[in-house]
Amino acid sequence: MSWFRKRVWLYAVLLGLFTWWSMGKTEFEVSSFQEFSNAYSFIHDRFLPASWEILPTLIDPILVTLAVAFLGTFIALLIALPLSFAAAKNTAGNRLFYYFNRFFLSVLRSVPEIVFGLIFVVVLGLGPFPAVMAILLHNIGVLGKLISELIEAADAGPQEAMQSVGAGRRIGNLFSILPQIWPNVLSHYFYRFEVAIRTSLILGFIGGGGIGQKLFNDFNSFNYTAVTVEVLLIMLLVIIVDLFGAFVRKRVI
Amino acid sequence: MIEFQDVTVYYPKSNEPALSHINLTFQQGEFVCVLGPSGAGKSTMIRTVNALQPVTAGNIFIDGQDLDNWTSLEKRQWRSRTGMIFQHFHLIPRLSVEQNVLTGLFGYKHPMAAFAGVFSQSEKKKARSILQQVGLGEMAERRVEWLSGGQKQRVGVARALMQEPDVFLGDEPVASLDPGTAQSIFALLKDVHVRNDLTTIINVHDVALARSFATRIVGLSHGKVIFDGKPDELTESGLEHIYGTVLQA
Ligand SMILES: Nc1ncnc2c1ncn2[C@@H]1O[C@H](COP(=O)(O)OP(=O)(O)OP(=O)(O)O)[C@@H](O)[C@H]1O
Ligand SMILES: [Mg+2]
Repeated sequence: MSWFRKRVWLYAVLLGLFTWWSMGKTEFEVSSFQEFSNAYSFIHDRFLPASWEILPTLIDPILVTLAVAFLGTFIALLIALPLSFAAAKNTAGNRLFYYFNRFFLSVLRSVPEIVFGLIFVVVLGLGPFPAVMAILLHNIGVLGKLISELIEAADAGPQEAMQSVGAGRRIGNLFSILPQIWPNVLSHYFYRFEVAIRTSLILGFIGGGGIGQKLFNDFNSFNYTAVTVEVLLIMLLVIIVDLFGAFVRKRVI
Repeated sequence: MIEFQDVTVYYPKSNEPALSHINLTFQQGEFVCVLGPSGAGKSTMIRTVNALQPVTAGNIFIDGQDLDNWTSLEKRQWRSRTGMIFQHFHLIPRLSVEQNVLTGLFGYKHPMAAFAGVFSQSEKKKARSILQQVGLGEMAERRVEWLSGGQKQRVGVARALMQEPDVFLGDEPVASLDPGTAQSIFALLKDVHVRNDLTTIINVHDVALARSFATRIVGLSHGKVIFDGKPDELTESGLEHIYGTVLQA
Protein backbone atom coordinates (compact mmCIF):
# COMPACT_ATOMS: atom_id res chain seq x y z
CA MET A 1 0.00 0.00 0.00
CA SER A 2 1.09 3.53 -0.56
CA TRP A 3 -0.39 6.81 0.60
CA PHE A 4 0.60 8.39 -2.68
CA ARG A 5 -0.73 7.76 -6.11
CA LYS A 6 1.88 7.11 -8.77
CA ARG A 7 1.19 10.45 -10.37
CA VAL A 8 2.51 12.19 -7.24
CA TRP A 9 6.05 11.10 -8.18
CA LEU A 10 5.70 12.70 -11.58
CA TYR A 11 4.61 15.97 -9.91
CA ALA A 12 7.60 15.75 -7.56
CA VAL A 13 10.01 15.37 -10.49
CA LEU A 14 8.38 18.27 -12.35
CA LEU A 15 8.57 20.46 -9.25
CA GLY A 16 12.25 19.54 -8.82
CA LEU A 17 12.98 20.47 -12.43
CA PHE A 18 11.17 23.79 -12.11
CA THR A 19 13.14 24.61 -8.96
CA TRP A 20 16.42 23.81 -10.69
CA TRP A 21 15.44 25.94 -13.68
CA SER A 22 14.45 28.87 -11.43
CA MET A 23 17.78 28.70 -9.63
CA GLY A 24 19.59 29.00 -12.95
CA LYS A 25 17.44 31.95 -13.98
CA THR A 26 18.06 33.80 -10.72
CA GLU A 27 21.77 32.98 -10.44
CA PHE A 28 20.98 31.30 -7.17
CA GLU A 29 24.24 29.91 -5.85
CA VAL A 30 24.82 28.32 -2.51
CA SER A 31 28.43 29.48 -2.50
CA SER A 32 27.23 33.09 -2.42
CA PHE A 33 25.84 32.53 1.05
CA GLN A 34 29.32 33.35 2.36
CA GLU A 35 28.75 36.92 1.21
CA PHE A 36 26.04 37.30 3.82
CA SER A 37 28.73 37.76 6.46
CA ASN A 38 29.64 40.91 4.55
CA ALA A 39 26.08 42.10 5.05
CA TYR A 40 26.65 41.81 8.76
CA SER A 41 29.78 43.95 8.75
CA PHE A 42 28.14 46.36 6.29
CA ILE A 43 25.24 46.87 8.65
CA HIS A 44 27.43 46.96 11.74
CA ASP A 45 29.92 49.47 10.33
CA ARG A 46 27.68 51.74 8.32
CA PHE A 47 24.20 51.62 9.86
CA LEU A 48 25.16 51.92 13.51
CA PRO A 49 24.91 53.82 15.71
CA ALA A 50 21.48 55.02 14.62
CA SER A 51 21.12 58.80 14.40
CA TRP A 52 18.22 59.15 16.79
CA GLU A 53 18.50 62.94 16.65
CA ILE A 54 16.56 62.94 13.32
CA LEU A 55 13.55 61.38 15.00
CA PRO A 56 11.55 64.64 15.34
CA THR A 57 11.86 65.28 11.60
CA LEU A 58 10.37 61.83 10.91
CA ILE A 59 7.15 62.37 12.82
CA ASP A 60 5.37 64.11 9.97
CA PRO A 61 6.50 61.70 7.21
CA ILE A 62 5.50 58.61 9.22
CA LEU A 63 2.09 60.14 9.88
CA VAL A 64 1.76 60.80 6.15
CA THR A 65 2.59 57.13 5.51
CA LEU A 66 0.00 56.04 8.06
CA ALA A 67 -2.61 58.33 6.50
CA VAL A 68 -1.85 57.12 2.97
CA ALA A 69 -2.15 53.47 3.95
CA PHE A 70 -5.31 54.01 5.99
CA LEU A 71 -7.14 56.23 3.52
CA GLY A 72 -6.27 54.10 0.51
CA THR A 73 -7.42 50.85 2.10
CA PHE A 74 -10.40 52.28 3.97
CA ILE A 75 -11.98 53.90 0.91
CA ALA A 76 -11.17 50.70 -0.97
CA LEU A 77 -13.07 48.73 1.68
CA LEU A 78 -16.09 51.02 1.40
CA ILE A 79 -16.19 50.51 -2.35
CA ALA A 80 -15.27 46.81 -2.28
CA LEU A 81 -17.99 45.82 0.20
CA PRO A 82 -21.01 46.48 -2.02
CA LEU A 83 -19.05 45.49 -5.10
CA SER A 84 -18.20 42.09 -3.68
CA PHE A 85 -21.89 41.27 -3.23
CA ALA A 86 -22.23 41.95 -6.94
CA ALA A 87 -19.21 39.73 -7.62
CA ALA A 88 -20.31 36.70 -5.60
CA LYS A 89 -22.17 33.87 -7.33
CA ASN A 90 -24.81 33.53 -4.64
CA THR A 91 -25.72 37.22 -4.39
CA ALA A 92 -25.02 38.78 -7.80
CA GLY A 93 -28.49 37.87 -9.08
CA ASN A 94 -27.50 37.90 -12.72
CA ARG A 95 -24.86 35.63 -14.28
CA LEU A 96 -23.55 38.20 -16.74
CA PHE A 97 -23.38 40.90 -14.07
CA TYR A 98 -21.43 38.49 -11.87
CA TYR A 99 -18.85 37.71 -14.55
CA PHE A 100 -18.51 41.38 -15.41
CA ASN A 101 -17.78 42.35 -11.80
CA ARG A 102 -15.37 39.45 -11.31
CA PHE A 103 -13.51 40.55 -14.41
CA PHE A 104 -13.47 44.19 -13.32
CA LEU A 105 -12.00 43.22 -9.94
CA SER A 106 -9.33 41.03 -11.44
CA VAL A 107 -8.30 43.81 -13.82
CA LEU A 108 -7.87 46.19 -10.87
CA ARG A 109 -5.95 43.55 -8.98
CA SER A 110 -3.66 42.66 -11.85
CA VAL A 111 -2.23 46.18 -12.04
CA PRO A 112 0.43 46.53 -9.33
CA GLU A 113 0.32 49.58 -7.12
CA ILE A 114 3.67 50.74 -8.43
CA VAL A 115 2.26 50.95 -11.97
CA PHE A 116 -0.79 52.92 -10.81
CA GLY A 117 1.66 55.02 -8.79
CA LEU A 118 3.91 55.81 -11.76
CA ILE A 119 0.87 56.88 -13.77
CA PHE A 120 -0.70 58.99 -11.03
CA VAL A 121 2.57 60.68 -10.09
CA VAL A 122 2.72 61.97 -13.64
CA VAL A 123 -0.98 62.82 -13.90
CA LEU A 124 -1.62 64.15 -10.40
CA GLY A 125 1.85 65.39 -9.51
CA LEU A 126 4.28 64.28 -6.79
CA GLY A 127 3.12 63.74 -3.22
CA PRO A 128 0.98 61.41 -1.13
CA PHE A 129 -2.24 61.82 -3.11
CA PRO A 130 -1.15 59.65 -6.08
CA ALA A 131 0.03 57.06 -3.55
CA VAL A 132 -3.44 57.00 -1.96
CA MET A 133 -5.05 56.53 -5.37
CA ALA A 134 -2.67 53.72 -6.32
CA ILE A 135 -3.31 51.83 -3.09
CA LEU A 136 -7.03 52.52 -3.35
CA LEU A 137 -7.49 51.07 -6.82
CA HIS A 138 -5.39 47.98 -6.29
CA ASN A 139 -7.07 47.23 -2.98
CA ILE A 140 -10.58 47.50 -4.40
CA GLY A 141 -9.55 44.57 -6.55
CA VAL A 142 -7.94 42.62 -3.72
CA LEU A 143 -10.59 43.23 -1.04
CA GLY A 144 -13.38 42.75 -3.58
CA LYS A 145 -12.06 39.30 -4.43
CA LEU A 146 -11.41 38.26 -0.83
CA ILE A 147 -14.79 39.47 0.43
CA SER A 148 -16.73 37.98 -2.47
CA GLU A 149 -15.15 34.63 -1.66
CA LEU A 150 -16.23 34.99 1.96
CA ILE A 151 -19.74 35.72 0.70
CA GLU A 152 -19.75 32.62 -1.47
CA ALA A 153 -18.61 30.47 1.45
CA ALA A 154 -21.23 31.86 3.85
CA ASP A 155 -23.91 29.53 5.22
CA ALA A 156 -26.96 29.77 2.95
CA GLY A 157 -29.41 29.08 5.78
CA PRO A 158 -29.97 32.62 7.02
CA GLN A 159 -30.36 33.72 3.40
CA GLU A 160 -33.22 31.27 2.99
CA ALA A 161 -34.73 32.53 6.23
CA MET A 162 -34.63 36.12 5.01
CA GLN A 163 -36.20 35.08 1.73
CA SER A 164 -38.94 33.29 3.57
CA VAL A 165 -39.88 36.33 5.69
CA GLY A 166 -40.34 38.14 2.38
CA ALA A 167 -37.33 40.44 2.68
CA GLY A 168 -36.08 42.13 -0.49
CA ARG A 169 -33.08 40.51 -2.11
CA ARG A 170 -30.58 43.20 -1.15
CA ILE A 171 -31.63 43.57 2.47
CA GLY A 172 -31.96 39.82 2.81
CA ASN A 173 -28.48 39.20 1.48
CA LEU A 174 -26.96 41.96 3.54
CA PHE A 175 -28.45 40.81 6.83
CA SER A 176 -27.98 37.12 6.28
CA ILE A 177 -24.38 37.33 5.10
CA LEU A 178 -22.61 40.36 6.53
CA PRO A 179 -22.92 39.31 10.19
CA GLN A 180 -21.44 35.93 9.30
CA ILE A 181 -18.41 37.26 7.46
CA TRP A 182 -17.77 40.47 9.39
CA PRO A 183 -14.85 39.26 11.56
CA ASN A 184 -13.10 37.83 8.52
CA VAL A 185 -13.72 41.03 6.58
CA LEU A 186 -11.97 42.93 9.35
CA SER A 187 -9.10 40.43 9.33
CA HIS A 188 -8.60 40.90 5.62
CA TYR A 189 -8.91 44.65 5.98
CA PHE A 190 -6.26 44.94 8.66
CA TYR A 191 -3.93 42.70 6.76
CA ARG A 192 -4.32 44.87 3.65
CA PHE A 193 -3.79 47.98 5.82
CA GLU A 194 -0.52 46.51 7.03
CA VAL A 195 0.54 45.58 3.50
CA ALA A 196 -0.37 49.11 2.37
CA ILE A 197 2.09 50.58 4.85
CA ARG A 198 4.88 48.63 3.18
CA THR A 199 3.54 49.49 -0.27
CA SER A 200 3.42 53.17 0.53
CA LEU A 201 7.16 52.98 1.26
CA ILE A 202 7.81 51.75 -2.25
CA LEU A 203 5.49 54.42 -3.60
CA GLY A 204 7.59 56.91 -1.63
CA PHE A 205 10.57 55.84 -3.72
CA ILE A 206 8.83 57.18 -6.84
CA GLY A 207 7.79 60.45 -5.22
CA GLY A 208 4.73 59.38 -3.26
CA GLY A 209 5.88 61.18 -0.10
CA GLY A 210 5.88 59.84 3.44
CA ILE A 211 8.66 58.04 5.22
CA GLY A 212 9.38 55.94 2.14
CA GLN A 213 10.58 58.99 0.27
CA LYS A 214 12.79 59.97 3.23
CA LEU A 215 14.21 56.47 3.36
CA PHE A 216 14.96 56.44 -0.32
CA ASN A 217 16.67 59.83 -0.21
CA ASP A 218 18.78 58.91 2.80
CA PHE A 219 19.76 55.61 1.25
CA ASN A 220 20.80 57.25 -2.00
CA SER A 221 22.88 59.84 -0.17
CA PHE A 222 24.62 57.09 1.88
CA ASN A 223 23.04 58.44 5.05
CA TYR A 224 22.73 54.94 6.46
CA THR A 225 22.51 55.79 10.15
CA ALA A 226 19.34 57.76 9.34
CA VAL A 227 18.01 54.80 7.35
CA THR A 228 18.34 52.68 10.50
CA VAL A 229 16.03 54.98 12.43
CA GLU A 230 13.55 55.09 9.56
CA VAL A 231 13.44 51.31 9.21
CA LEU A 232 12.92 50.82 12.95
CA LEU A 233 10.15 53.39 12.92
CA ILE A 234 8.41 51.62 10.03
CA MET A 235 8.64 48.30 11.85
CA LEU A 236 7.11 49.93 14.90
CA LEU A 237 4.23 51.30 12.82
CA VAL A 238 3.51 47.92 11.25
CA ILE A 239 3.49 46.27 14.67
CA ILE A 240 1.16 48.92 16.08
CA VAL A 241 -1.30 48.47 13.22
CA ASP A 242 -1.14 44.71 13.67
CA LEU A 243 -1.81 44.97 17.41
CA PHE A 244 -4.65 47.39 16.82
CA GLY A 245 -6.17 45.01 14.27
CA ALA A 246 -5.97 42.14 16.74
CA PHE A 247 -7.63 44.33 19.37
CA VAL A 248 -10.50 45.32 17.07
CA ARG A 249 -11.07 41.74 15.90
CA LYS A 250 -11.21 40.53 19.47
CA ARG A 251 -13.89 43.09 20.22
CA VAL A 252 -16.18 42.10 17.35
CA ILE A 253 -16.02 38.32 17.63
CA MET B 1 -56.66 27.53 1.50
CA ILE B 2 -53.67 26.02 -0.26
CA GLU B 3 -54.35 23.75 -3.18
CA PHE B 4 -51.82 21.54 -5.00
CA GLN B 5 -53.04 20.49 -8.44
CA ASP B 6 -50.96 17.83 -10.11
CA VAL B 7 -47.73 19.45 -8.90
CA THR B 8 -44.48 18.01 -10.20
CA VAL B 9 -41.01 19.29 -9.39
CA TYR B 10 -37.79 18.31 -11.11
CA TYR B 11 -34.48 19.69 -9.91
CA PRO B 12 -32.12 20.76 -12.69
CA LYS B 13 -30.06 17.89 -14.13
CA SER B 14 -32.17 15.28 -12.36
CA ASN B 15 -34.18 12.57 -14.10
CA GLU B 16 -36.27 11.61 -11.09
CA PRO B 17 -38.92 14.07 -9.96
CA ALA B 18 -38.58 15.28 -6.36
CA LEU B 19 -42.38 15.67 -6.36
CA SER B 20 -44.62 13.80 -8.73
CA HIS B 21 -48.27 14.67 -9.48
CA ILE B 22 -49.16 15.94 -6.02
CA ASN B 23 -52.83 16.70 -5.39
CA LEU B 24 -53.55 18.07 -1.93
CA THR B 25 -55.73 20.70 -0.37
CA PHE B 26 -54.87 22.31 2.95
CA GLN B 27 -57.72 24.08 4.72
CA GLN B 28 -57.44 27.05 7.01
CA GLY B 29 -56.88 25.80 10.57
CA GLU B 30 -55.43 22.40 9.74
CA PHE B 31 -52.33 21.15 11.56
CA VAL B 32 -50.68 18.90 9.01
CA CYS B 33 -47.63 16.76 9.66
CA VAL B 34 -45.78 15.44 6.64
CA LEU B 35 -44.01 12.12 7.12
CA GLY B 36 -41.65 10.34 4.80
CA PRO B 37 -38.20 8.85 4.53
CA SER B 38 -35.16 10.89 3.63
CA GLY B 39 -35.34 12.08 0.04
CA ALA B 40 -39.12 11.64 -0.16
CA GLY B 41 -39.61 15.28 -1.14
CA LYS B 42 -40.81 16.75 2.16
CA SER B 43 -38.53 19.80 2.07
CA THR B 44 -39.28 20.34 -1.59
CA MET B 45 -43.02 20.33 -0.94
CA ILE B 46 -42.77 22.79 1.96
CA ARG B 47 -40.66 25.12 -0.14
CA THR B 48 -43.11 25.11 -3.04
CA VAL B 49 -45.81 26.46 -0.72
CA ASN B 50 -44.05 29.78 -0.20
CA ALA B 51 -42.58 29.81 -3.72
CA LEU B 52 -39.00 29.33 -2.61
CA GLN B 53 -39.07 26.36 -4.97
CA PRO B 54 -40.71 26.82 -8.39
CA VAL B 55 -42.83 23.97 -9.70
CA THR B 56 -42.02 22.26 -12.98
CA ALA B 57 -45.59 21.32 -13.83
CA GLY B 58 -49.01 21.67 -12.23
CA ASN B 59 -50.36 24.55 -10.17
CA ILE B 60 -50.52 25.74 -6.60
CA PHE B 61 -53.51 27.88 -5.72
CA ILE B 62 -53.46 30.20 -2.73
CA ASP B 63 -57.04 31.14 -1.85
CA GLY B 64 -57.97 30.35 -5.42
CA GLN B 65 -55.18 32.30 -7.07
CA ASP B 66 -52.51 30.59 -9.12
CA LEU B 67 -49.13 31.18 -7.50
CA ASP B 68 -47.50 30.78 -10.87
CA ASN B 69 -49.13 33.95 -12.21
CA TRP B 70 -47.82 36.14 -9.45
CA THR B 71 -45.09 38.68 -9.97
CA SER B 72 -41.97 38.34 -7.84
CA LEU B 73 -43.23 41.19 -5.67
CA GLU B 74 -46.52 39.39 -5.09
CA LYS B 75 -44.61 36.22 -4.22
CA ARG B 76 -42.58 38.21 -1.72
CA GLN B 77 -45.76 39.58 -0.18
CA TRP B 78 -47.09 36.05 0.07
CA ARG B 79 -43.89 34.95 1.82
CA SER B 80 -44.21 37.76 4.29
CA ARG B 81 -47.58 36.25 5.30
CA THR B 82 -46.00 32.81 5.56
CA GLY B 83 -43.92 32.02 8.62
CA MET B 84 -41.27 29.35 8.23
CA ILE B 85 -39.00 27.56 10.69
CA PHE B 86 -36.06 25.33 9.91
CA GLN B 87 -34.14 22.36 11.27
CA HIS B 88 -31.01 24.41 11.74
CA PHE B 89 -32.97 27.49 12.85
CA HIS B 90 -31.26 29.82 10.35
CA LEU B 91 -31.02 32.69 12.79
CA ILE B 92 -28.81 35.64 12.02
CA PRO B 93 -25.64 35.35 14.04
CA ARG B 94 -24.17 38.31 15.93
CA LEU B 95 -27.62 39.80 16.38
CA SER B 96 -29.61 39.65 19.59
CA VAL B 97 -32.73 37.58 20.13
CA GLU B 98 -34.93 40.66 19.80
CA GLN B 99 -33.14 41.86 16.66
CA ASN B 100 -33.64 38.44 15.10
CA VAL B 101 -37.33 38.57 15.90
CA LEU B 102 -37.62 42.04 14.36
CA THR B 103 -36.16 40.75 11.07
CA GLY B 104 -39.52 38.99 10.74
CA LEU B 105 -40.85 42.42 9.70
CA PHE B 106 -38.45 42.76 6.77
CA GLY B 107 -41.16 41.76 4.34
CA TYR B 108 -43.14 44.84 5.33
CA LYS B 109 -40.34 47.35 5.82
CA HIS B 110 -38.87 49.84 3.41
CA PRO B 111 -35.29 48.68 2.68
CA MET B 112 -33.82 51.85 4.15
CA ALA B 113 -35.82 51.48 7.36
CA ALA B 114 -34.78 47.83 7.58
CA PHE B 115 -31.14 48.75 6.96
CA ALA B 116 -31.15 51.47 9.59
CA GLY B 117 -33.02 49.28 12.06
CA VAL B 118 -35.86 51.76 12.46
CA PHE B 119 -38.69 50.09 14.35
CA SER B 120 -41.61 51.78 16.03
CA GLN B 121 -42.36 51.46 19.73
CA SER B 122 -45.36 49.30 18.97
CA GLU B 123 -43.27 46.96 16.82
CA LYS B 124 -40.72 46.59 19.62
CA LYS B 125 -43.49 46.03 22.11
CA LYS B 126 -44.96 43.34 19.91
CA ALA B 127 -41.57 41.62 19.62
CA ARG B 128 -41.31 41.61 23.43
CA SER B 129 -44.76 40.18 23.90
CA ILE B 130 -44.11 37.45 21.32
CA LEU B 131 -40.88 36.59 23.13
CA GLN B 132 -42.90 36.38 26.32
CA GLN B 133 -45.32 34.06 24.56
CA VAL B 134 -42.58 31.67 23.38
CA GLY B 135 -40.97 31.70 26.81
CA LEU B 136 -37.95 33.87 26.07
CA GLY B 137 -39.08 37.01 27.86
CA GLU B 138 -35.82 37.32 29.76
CA MET B 139 -33.55 36.66 26.79
CA ALA B 140 -34.34 39.57 24.45
CA GLU B 141 -30.88 41.12 24.72
CA ARG B 142 -28.95 37.85 24.52
CA ARG B 143 -26.96 37.07 21.40
CA VAL B 144 -28.53 34.14 19.56
CA GLU B 145 -25.31 32.10 19.32
CA TRP B 146 -25.32 31.60 23.06
CA LEU B 147 -28.75 29.98 23.16
CA SER B 148 -29.51 26.26 23.39
CA GLY B 149 -31.07 24.49 20.40
CA GLY B 150 -34.53 24.61 21.88
CA GLN B 151 -34.21 28.30 22.67
CA LYS B 152 -32.96 28.98 19.15
CA GLN B 153 -36.01 27.30 17.69
CA ARG B 154 -38.20 29.42 19.96
CA VAL B 155 -36.54 32.47 18.43
CA GLY B 156 -37.30 30.98 15.01
CA VAL B 157 -40.95 30.64 15.99
CA ALA B 158 -40.99 34.18 17.36
CA ARG B 159 -39.49 35.56 14.15
CA ALA B 160 -42.19 33.79 12.14
CA LEU B 161 -44.93 35.04 14.50
CA MET B 162 -43.65 38.59 14.06
CA GLN B 163 -44.78 38.28 10.45
CA GLU B 164 -48.38 37.81 11.63
CA PRO B 165 -48.61 34.87 9.28
CA ASP B 166 -51.68 33.09 7.91
CA VAL B 167 -49.64 29.99 7.25
CA PHE B 168 -46.93 28.35 9.30
CA LEU B 169 -44.38 26.06 7.65
CA GLY B 170 -41.77 23.92 9.35
CA ASP B 171 -38.99 21.93 7.70
CA GLU B 172 -38.10 19.36 10.34
CA PRO B 173 -38.03 22.00 13.05
CA VAL B 174 -37.30 19.52 15.85
CA ALA B 175 -34.93 17.13 14.08
CA SER B 176 -31.89 18.59 15.88
CA LEU B 177 -33.50 18.63 19.31
CA ASP B 178 -33.73 16.08 22.10
CA PRO B 179 -37.13 14.37 22.57
CA GLY B 180 -38.21 16.46 25.54
CA THR B 181 -37.34 19.73 23.83
CA ALA B 182 -38.95 18.52 20.61
CA GLN B 183 -42.14 17.83 22.54
CA SER B 184 -42.15 21.30 24.09
CA ILE B 185 -41.53 22.99 20.71
CA PHE B 186 -44.47 21.06 19.24
CA ALA B 187 -46.62 22.10 22.17
CA LEU B 188 -45.63 25.70 21.43
CA LEU B 189 -46.43 25.27 17.73
CA LYS B 190 -49.82 23.83 18.60
CA ASP B 191 -50.51 26.71 20.96
CA VAL B 192 -49.48 29.24 18.32
CA HIS B 193 -51.57 27.38 15.77
CA VAL B 194 -54.72 27.49 17.84
CA ARG B 195 -54.34 31.07 19.02
CA ASN B 196 -53.74 32.50 15.55
CA ASP B 197 -55.98 30.11 13.59
CA LEU B 198 -53.10 29.22 11.28
CA THR B 199 -52.72 26.67 8.56
CA THR B 200 -49.73 24.73 9.81
CA ILE B 201 -47.71 22.32 7.68
CA ILE B 202 -44.72 20.66 9.29
CA ASN B 203 -42.26 17.97 8.20
CA VAL B 204 -41.32 15.53 10.93
CA HIS B 205 -39.35 12.36 11.30
CA ASP B 206 -40.91 11.55 14.66
CA VAL B 207 -44.10 9.61 14.04
CA ALA B 208 -45.23 9.77 17.66
CA LEU B 209 -45.06 13.58 17.61
CA ALA B 210 -47.06 13.69 14.39
CA ARG B 211 -49.67 11.36 15.85
CA SER B 212 -50.14 13.36 19.01
CA PHE B 213 -50.22 16.87 17.51
CA ALA B 214 -51.45 16.68 13.93
CA THR B 215 -55.06 16.96 12.81
CA ARG B 216 -54.00 15.37 9.55
CA ILE B 217 -51.00 13.36 8.38
CA VAL B 218 -49.64 13.24 4.86
CA GLY B 219 -47.19 10.48 3.95
CA LEU B 220 -44.74 11.03 1.12
CA SER B 221 -42.50 8.53 -0.55
CA HIS B 222 -40.50 8.98 -3.75
CA GLY B 223 -42.24 12.27 -4.38
CA LYS B 224 -45.74 10.78 -4.21
CA VAL B 225 -48.51 11.09 -1.64
CA ILE B 226 -49.07 7.58 -0.31
CA PHE B 227 -51.02 8.42 2.81
CA ASP B 228 -53.43 11.21 3.61
CA GLY B 229 -55.72 11.00 6.60
CA LYS B 230 -56.37 11.49 10.28
CA PRO B 231 -53.68 10.41 12.75
CA ASP B 232 -55.76 7.49 14.00
CA GLU B 233 -56.21 6.24 10.45
CA LEU B 234 -52.46 5.74 10.17
CA THR B 235 -51.95 2.06 10.90
CA GLU B 236 -48.72 0.13 11.38
CA SER B 237 -48.98 -1.21 7.86
CA GLY B 238 -49.63 2.29 6.59
CA LEU B 239 -46.41 3.39 8.30
CA GLU B 240 -44.51 0.51 6.78
CA HIS B 241 -45.90 1.57 3.45
CA ILE B 242 -44.49 5.08 3.93
CA TYR B 243 -41.11 4.12 5.30
CA GLY B 244 -40.79 0.57 3.99
CA THR B 245 -40.70 1.28 0.30
CA VAL B 246 -37.35 2.92 0.61
CA LEU B 247 -35.94 -0.08 2.45
CA GLN B 248 -36.94 -2.34 -0.42
CA ALA B 249 -35.51 0.00 -3.05
N1 LIG C 1 -31.05 21.46 -4.68
C1 LIG C 1 -31.24 20.22 -5.17
N2 LIG C 1 -30.73 19.86 -6.37
C2 LIG C 1 -30.93 18.64 -6.87
N3 LIG C 1 -31.64 17.68 -6.25
C3 LIG C 1 -32.17 17.97 -5.06
C4 LIG C 1 -32.00 19.25 -4.45
N4 LIG C 1 -32.65 19.25 -3.26
C5 LIG C 1 -33.20 18.02 -3.14
N5 LIG C 1 -32.91 17.25 -4.21
C6 LIG C 1 -33.38 15.87 -4.44
O1 LIG C 1 -34.79 15.88 -4.43
C7 LIG C 1 -35.29 14.77 -3.71
C8 LIG C 1 -36.18 15.23 -2.59
O2 LIG C 1 -35.41 15.96 -1.66
P1 LIG C 1 -35.98 16.65 -0.36
O3 LIG C 1 -34.90 17.46 0.23
O4 LIG C 1 -37.24 17.34 -0.69
O5 LIG C 1 -36.28 15.38 0.55
P2 LIG C 1 -36.70 15.32 2.09
O6 LIG C 1 -37.90 14.46 2.15
O7 LIG C 1 -36.78 16.69 2.66
O8 LIG C 1 -35.48 14.52 2.73
P3 LIG C 1 -34.81 14.70 4.19
O9 LIG C 1 -35.68 13.96 5.14
O10 LIG C 1 -33.48 14.03 4.03
O11 LIG C 1 -34.70 16.15 4.47
C9 LIG C 1 -34.08 13.99 -3.24
O12 LIG C 1 -33.89 12.92 -4.14
C10 LIG C 1 -32.95 14.96 -3.32
O13 LIG C 1 -31.75 14.29 -3.62
MG1 LIG D 1 -35.66 17.74 4.07
